[in-house]
Amino acid sequence: MKVKILRWHAVASWTWDAQDETCGICRMAFDGCCPDCKLPGDDCPLIWGACNHAFHLHCILKWVNSQTPQAHCPMCRREWQFKG
Amino acid sequence: MEAASSVSDLGILDSVDDASITEIMESWDGFCRATEALLNGHGDLSVGSEFVSHVHSLCKRSLGSLVQDHFLRSLEETFERNGATRFWRHFDAYTHVEVMEMSKSPIQENGIQKVLYKALDDVSLEKQYQEKCLLMLVHALQSYKDSISEERHNSDAERIHLFSKYQLIVSSVLMTTLPRHFPEILHCYFKGRLEELSTIMAGEYEDDNESDDKDDMDLDEKNKVSYRGEMDIDECYQRRKFLENNKLVKNIGKVVRDLRNLGFTSMAEDAYASAIFLLLKDKVHNLAGDDYRSSVLESIKEWIQAVPLQFLYALLAYLGDSVSYDNPSSGLKSPLASHPSSCYPGIDTPSEGLIRWQLRLEYFAYETLQDLRIAKLFEIIVDYPDSSPAIEDLKQCLEYTGQHSKLVDSFISALRYRLLTAGASTNDILHQYVSTIKALRTIDPAGVFLEAVGEPIRDYLRGRKDTIKCIVTMLTDGTGGNPNGPGNTGDSLLEELNRDEENQENAGIDDDFNIDEKQDWINAERWEPDPVEADPSKGSRNRRKVDILGMIVGIIGSKDQLVNEYRVMLAEKLLNKSDYDIDSEIRTLELLKIHFGESSMQRCEIMLNDLIDSKRTNSNIKATITQPSQIGSELGETGVSLDILDATIISSNFWPPIQDEALNIPGPVDQLLADYAKRFHKIKTPRKLLWKKNLGTVKLELQFEGRVVQFTVAPLHAAIIMQFQDQTSWTSKNLAASIGVPVDVLNRRINFWISKGILSESLVTDPNDHIFTLVDDMVEPGKNSVNAGSCEELLVCDEEGERSVASVEDQLHKEMIVYEKFIMGMLTNFGSMALDRIHNTLKMFCLADPPYDKSLQQLQSFLSGLVSEEKLEIRDGMYFLKK
Ligand SMILES: [Zn+2]
Ligand SMILES: [Zn+2]
Ligand SMILES: [Zn+2]
Repeated sequence: MKVKILRWHAVASWTWDAQDETCGICRMAFDGCCPDCKLPGDDCPLIWGACNHAFHLHCILKWVNSQTPQAHCPMCRREWQFKG
Repeated sequence: MEAASSVSDLGILDSVDDASITEIMESWDGFCRATEALLNGHGDLSVGSEFVSHVHSLCKRSLGSLVQDHFLRSLEETFERNGATRFWRHFDAYTHVEVMEMSKSPIQENGIQKVLYKALDDVSLEKQYQEKCLLMLVHALQSYKDSISEERHNSDAERIHLFSKYQLIVSSVLMTTLPRHFPEILHCYFKGRLEELSTIMAGEYEDDNESDDKDDMDLDEKNKVSYRGEMDIDECYQRRKFLENNKLVKNIGKVVRDLRNLGFTSMAEDAYASAIFLLLKDKVHNLAGDDYRSSVLESIKEWIQAVPLQFLYALLAYLGDSVSYDNPSSGLKSPLASHPSSCYPGIDTPSEGLIRWQLRLEYFAYETLQDLRIAKLFEIIVDYPDSSPAIEDLKQCLEYTGQHSKLVDSFISALRYRLLTAGASTNDILHQYVSTIKALRTIDPAGVFLEAVGEPIRDYLRGRKDTIKCIVTMLTDGTGGNPNGPGNTGDSLLEELNRDEENQENAGIDDDFNIDEKQDWINAERWEPDPVEADPSKGSRNRRKVDILGMIVGIIGSKDQLVNEYRVMLAEKLLNKSDYDIDSEIRTLELLKIHFGESSMQRCEIMLNDLIDSKRTNSNIKATITQPSQIGSELGETGVSLDILDATIISSNFWPPIQDEALNIPGPVDQLLADYAKRFHKIKTPRKLLWKKNLGTVKLELQFEGRVVQFTVAPLHAAIIMQFQDQTSWTSKNLAASIGVPVDVLNRRINFWISKGILSESLVTDPNDHIFTLVDDMVEPGKNSVNAGSCEELLVCDEEGERSVASVEDQLHKEMIVYEKFIMGMLTNFGSMALDRIHNTLKMFCLADPPYDKSLQQLQSFLSGLVSEEKLEIRDGMYFLKK
């Protein structure tokens, strides 16, 4: 007997490739979404700082905008710079 | 009175002399003889002049009242002998015959009719003769008075007085000698005659409709209905004329009149009234029967107009009175009632008596039909909506009689007896519940009685484990559920409710005008659409309307539980799909959002969105194959390419907990998954994939020598069968180790292949170890060749207990387990606690890690789990530690 696979419909979950589980600003899971968003994933992406800390893009943007003139990383207090 | 006056008469005797006494005695003797001769003379009035002179001479001696008393006493004795005794003797033959038998046998009944006519004729004749004699006495007394007095006396007072005394004598003689069976004989007579009349009238009826198609009963019935209130003057007149001239009516009228003359006024009327009601009852039963699909109320009312009321009209006209006997104001005839020529129910106002009769008959008909329908309400609701005409009839009856409580009591006991039993499936109970709501909201728009009727069903359903699941299925699944159930197949209940609501909204304003025009005109002007976030417990915009969904959610307790269950079922369904087709799920979600609010359905929305995203991502990944990666080209040699692989990629935070079990899937496929994940990471950096290798569906083809069989199975089944390509026999231990699952899981899941006849199982010495062998064509060619070329499908969720997603109960148990220690500690300290106290204490002290946020019901179901694990016990609502 030989078995021929005609179709294999698999199931996977996606996850952000980040060290932490939750966003340091909103405390929500990275695999969830920020409080302003309804859909996770592409619609509410993560962003890394030069210090290698990750946040929801929407969360850090709000944070940066509120910190004038110079914003610092909420986790390590280093000057905030988006990772190039 | 009479005794006193006699004494005073005798007092006169003291003051008269002997000669006078002799004269008086002679006159008295003469009077007594003449009286006797007169009364027993049978028409011989020759003693008349002698009688008159004796009366005169006695009156002269002021013995007038003695004369009257003696004469009346003689009349009484004679009537007892010649009237009453003979009258009753006619009916002796029927003394021991039961009424039922009387009316059953037409010969008996005919006999009764003849005997009654004869008996009434005889006794009336005797009475007429006696009245003639009494009139002679009246004249004698009158002529004496005239002779001694100048002025003319009005004789009427004396005459009326004596005749009413005589009437009283006749009645009381008959009443005191009345045999017990006489009322039954009367009832039987009237019943027979009325039935005869009804048949004649029915014939008349048919003649009236001659122009219509007689063969078509339904059409005929409709024609009858259209007559209501439109019976024109001509027709009415003819029918009345017909009845007035009818011999039967005259005969009945004569019997009634004779009976009245004998003092049986109310007995006669009771008899024909009960006969009419009996006939009406039969008619209602006949018309209504067990047919719930047409309305009968109008036909019944029509019949009341056409038969009993016309009969009563004719009867009352014959008797010369137009007011019925039970009319308290019968002494005061209304000026209108004195026109018996008025045509009922035509242009003139009908007599008060007839209106009372109509009201009595209609009430009785409503009540009879109502009782009939209430007794069969269970069947009627099973037949709903086809049975809506019967429901509509019942509604009208109840509005008239106000006996809604009868409905509630009767229906609840029918439910207990017929539906709420262990044998009935939860689905059947739910569907009957929904039909009940739909049917009864017609009768009871405010839902008051519905509340009472629904309570036992809800209580019963709460005790069933599969209730929530069945409710969710019924609401959201148009294909499954109850294929025999009412309503459009292929339509979920939610879909149906939504359609109803749209229809109501369109027709709503017109409808409301019937209820309260003024108020609803105002409402209509103020009308606003429902807010999107409608709370199902508050019903739609019209608070009076029964909210079906609310009543269904009410069984579960909260919409959250329902939504949770739906989410688990949706997850199960989505994870077992072999494509990305979710059109019907999207439609259902939209409907759920309307009823439960968008925020409640947020997670389900993300789940569906994952499927949409997966489809897009999947085709993006497939598009990268044209630039083959290193691994991709290697795989090409193994014969499986990335083409065969599709993936559903989920946002696991928003899905119910997934049953993640280890599984070694076949090497080539495992490499495909790795390649797929790599390509995903490339497209979606910095996101990556985590495979749930035990989930999904696999379509495969088993190629034997000479035959090919296709299956759609779970990955575990695929992994099992692929092991048999190189090695046709495996022990369960080895096989389990090879595919990386526990032996018990393997032993359970491998049954699928055994049941399909692909593998066979044999026990070796170790009872825990089995040997599974591939069934080759060579071994059993006959059996398996039957399946050749066939394609078998397996829905993974069909397998008992094999689920991709943890059930709601399992999830709850996992979440509650952290509080178990705390609860045990509390009970150690306090000895015993009630449910709500445990609940409140947890709320107070478990504020973090994780905070206690469960409902009372959830706590209760967790605690009953601990009771069944024998960790706790419950007595009188208090929880204790089990010792
Ligand atoms: Zn955030
Ligand atoms: Zn966001
Ligand atoms: Zn940082």
